[in-house]
Amino acid sequence: MLRRLLLLAALTTSTLLSPSVMAANNGLPIIKAQLTSPPFVPPPTGRKTPAKVVVELEVVEKEMPISEGVNYTFWTFGGSVPGSFIRVRQGDTVEFHLKNHPSSKMPHNIDLHGVTGPGGGAASSFTAPGHESQFTFKALNEGIYVYHCATAPVGMHVANGMYGLILVEPPEGLPKVDHEYYVMQGDFYTAGKYREKGQQPFDMEKAIAEQPTYVLFNGAEGSLTGDRAMTAKVGESVRLYVGNGGPNLVSSFHVIGAIFDQVRYEGGSNIQKNVQTTLIPAGGAAIVKFTAKVPGSYVLVDHSIFRAFNKGALAIMKIDGPEDKSIYSGKEVDSVYLGDRAQPNLQAVASATQAAAGGKLTPQDQINAGRELFAGTCSVCHQANGAGLPGVFPPLAKSDFIAQDPKRAIGVVLHGLSGKVKVNGKDYDSVMPPMNQLNDDEVANILTYVLNSWDNPGGSFSAEEVKKARAAKPAATNQAGH
Amino acid sequence: MGLASALIGLAGAAYVAMPAGTLNSVLARDTDREPTHVAAFALREKPVTRGEFRRFLQAHAEWLPGQAPAVFASPGYLRQGLEGGDDDAPVTEVSWFAAQAYCEAEVPGGRLPTWYEWEYAAAADATRTDARGDPVWLARILGWYARPAGRALPQVGGEPNVYGVRDLHGLVWEWVDDFNALLVNGDSRSAEDPDKLRFCGAGAIDLQDRQNYAVLMRVALLSSLNAADSTGSLGFRCAHEVPR
Amino acid sequence: MIKTMKRWALAAWLCLAGAALALPGDSVYQLDAKLTDQRGQAIKLDSARGQPVLVSMFYTSCQFVCPMLIDAARDTQAALPEAERRQVKVLLISFDPARDTPAKLEAMARERGLDASQWTLARTDPATVRKIAALLNFQYRALPDGGFNHSAELILLDGEGRVAARTSMLAGADERMVGAIRKQLAAQRR
Repeated sequence: MLRRLLLLAALTTSTLLSPSVMAANNGLPIIKAQLTSPPFVPPPTGRKTPAKVVVELEVVEKEMPISEGVNYTFWTFGGSVPGSFIRVRQGDTVEFHLKNHPSSKMPHNIDLHGVTGPGGGAASSFTAPGHESQFTFKALNEGIYVYHCATAPVGMHVANGMYGLILVEPPEGLPKVDHEYYVMQGDFYTAGKYREKGQQPFDMEKAIAEQPTYVLFNGAEGSLTGDRAMTAKVGESVRLYVGNGGPNLVSSFHVIGAIFDQVRYEGGSNIQKNVQTTLIPAGGAAIVKFTAKVPGSYVLVDHSIFRAFNKGALAIMKIDGPEDKSIYSGKEVDSVYLGDRAQPNLQAVASATQAAAGGKLTPQDQINAGRELFAGTCSVCHQANGAGLPGVFPPLAKSDFIAQDPKRAIGVVLHGLSGKVKVNGKDYDSVMPPMNQLNDDEVANILTYVLNSWDNPGGSFSAEEVKKARAAKPAATNQAGH
Repeated sequence: MGLASALIGLAGAAYVAMPAGTLNSVLARDTDREPTHVAAFALREKPVTRGEFRRFLQAHAEWLPGQAPAVFASPGYLRQGLEGGDDDAPVTEVSWFAAQAYCEAEVPGGRLPTWYEWEYAAAADATRTDARGDPVWLARILGWYARPAGRALPQVGGEPNVYGVRDLHGLVWEWVDDFNALLVNGDSRSAEDPDKLRFCGAGAIDLQDRQNYAVLMRVALLSSLNAADSTGSLGFRCAHEVPR
Repeated sequence: MIKTMKRWALAAWLCLAGAALALPGDSVYQLDAKLTDQRGQAIKLDSARGQPVLVSMFYTSCQFVCPMLIDAARDTQAALPEAERRQVKVLLISFDPARDTPAKLEAMARERGLDASQWTLARTDPATVRKIAALLNFQYRALPDGGFNHSAELILLDGEGRVAARTSMLAGADERMVGAIRKQLAAQRR
């Protein structure tokens, strides 16, 4: 019975005080920090009072893919790029243990931007392979801070992925959200070109010239796409801790299709609202918050846009849930927008389109529009005056072919015409291709214009007639012969 | 034929006669950027191999792991042992004290080379005594740093440089006699602001040539270590004086 | 293989036999170093074994920090109660054996009023200097003008030669160092 009670007590205490509490020290509880790999974030500390937090972070040099079929030797904090996410509370005393795995070639150290002290801890954490350094600091300021290796040559250590984020919560904690994610941008420099396969070494010349080969979120192409995309549901609030390890580039951070309701720009204490794109300096971070309102794949990019599409700076947040057409309807209309075509004046076409939409299309509108459309489309072969080319293209002017059966002109335009025809006493044996680029309104307008020009019989065609003819079999109208 | 590179054979190990010369060292502050003079000395042609170190241990049992006191060899010393593996691969996981002891045993007056001696020999490539300005040379060396340390090391005996010395780059880090004299602040970014009380004299080393990443990284690695330490990527070779 | 085993056995036997005299693995006295003191006498590195000793490294021509080092050692001694003051020795080893002859060391001792019964100023060959510096984690390098660029610390070794405390505070006595000395002395009395 006693054993059970003790067990119960142990279980209760460990859940109440999770992460694990080891012993009391100077009145401060000692807590082992729970570190996470990107894109995940440790849960809020949930504490109302300071504690002594023990952070154990290991440096590992390891080869990982930077892009499909491309390997790179990364130097990592905690085995990932960016390194493990550290979460403490303002006022905490942090006992930091930096371990350098024995298999490392290089010594490493750490500079945490949240540390007030020489080098941000770098001077006190210079660690040879197979060694561990310890130093202690007090988290005086709340905020989101970058940490990185500061061993010479610093640029190379950072370029190889040695950076991450430490969050120092404000005393009252951050407002609750449904999801928190960890994203960190970095620029990478390889001897080979973008996506050139094989093991790629670091290229110092490119790094000094600030000409990256890759600009990536979380250290690899595809790290946050496909089945590794971040997820949320419609209606949920999302907080992103976004860092920029550099070493060189500043990020213009934007989420395509979303507006940041709140941005703690520069990771500081002030909040900017309704932001589309926020600047994150190299060696800096920001916290952005938005609510997922409409489902879809939202692309996180560096809006210096060639970096997104030619160097890999993109990540996906997949939002699932019911659509809300009142916020975003999807495509409603796909109609012709004539815009500014090569012809000088298509005003009549625009008017006709407008009139047709309003149900007020007159034959004169059609003729005017047809005249404009004829030019450059039909006139190429049949000439602007409808005369055609003797022996090659039949005339449209005063055409007995049209007069005999005006309706068949629709079929000719829609489905084309090949083989022998006799127009105005002359034989033609050519090929007219189907005018697939014309829609029903355009065909109706062009033919109405033709019917009413050059002594043709007159009359008009409607878009509905054209539509019907389009659906009919070509064979019925190809009776060009006699 | 190149520079004088007569091999001095001693107890089976080949040493190269290095001529006297000057060197623009990356460790500049204490010499006000004047070139350093390096006296003539003899440098071992290749790093010490696993087989050679094993034979040394047979004659000097006091240096066996477990026998050597912790103050001379911390845990990690020959952690993976010398049995099995390639005898002609360079020996690593050896402490500075063990390396000194080996050099004293191999050759009369044997010792580790000084940093200047090492840097002087390592500035050369196959055809020039000072290749450090050549970005291709630098890139090749940096390529070695990029390869992770996990794999078994290849044998010694790579291409000789213009002096006839092999494997100064691309194989292992190497101990030097005055490794603890590099006086690099743990945070190298503050090198412009020397803490005069911590380092009497000129203060922490100002690394003169920040472009020369290849050498910078060696300095960084050596200054992170204590004499009893060892790593899987750190080996050594010996040097000795030459009679004038 | 058998040869090695025999060696192991021999070593083990010797170890057991000399257990009473064996130095701990982390003792600086593991280095069998031969020094010459300011009186020209040959001494060993472990000459102060059995007592706590303040150790540092210096050179006589040092203008800046080395005088402070000596003052710090003196202040540390003075901060101890009268009875304990004589129980702590000071050992200063020169980086500059070429110029710091016993005569030079003696002159310095006289100039600064350093009593030979407690203060040992010593020199040894360059290779041994390097080894001692490596053991004590001292950094130094020779400058072209004959001076040295070096770190400056006072190190406390316990009776068995293990590093018990270190301080880089050279302005006056470091309280923690004084405390560490008293702790060593108290442990020895038991």
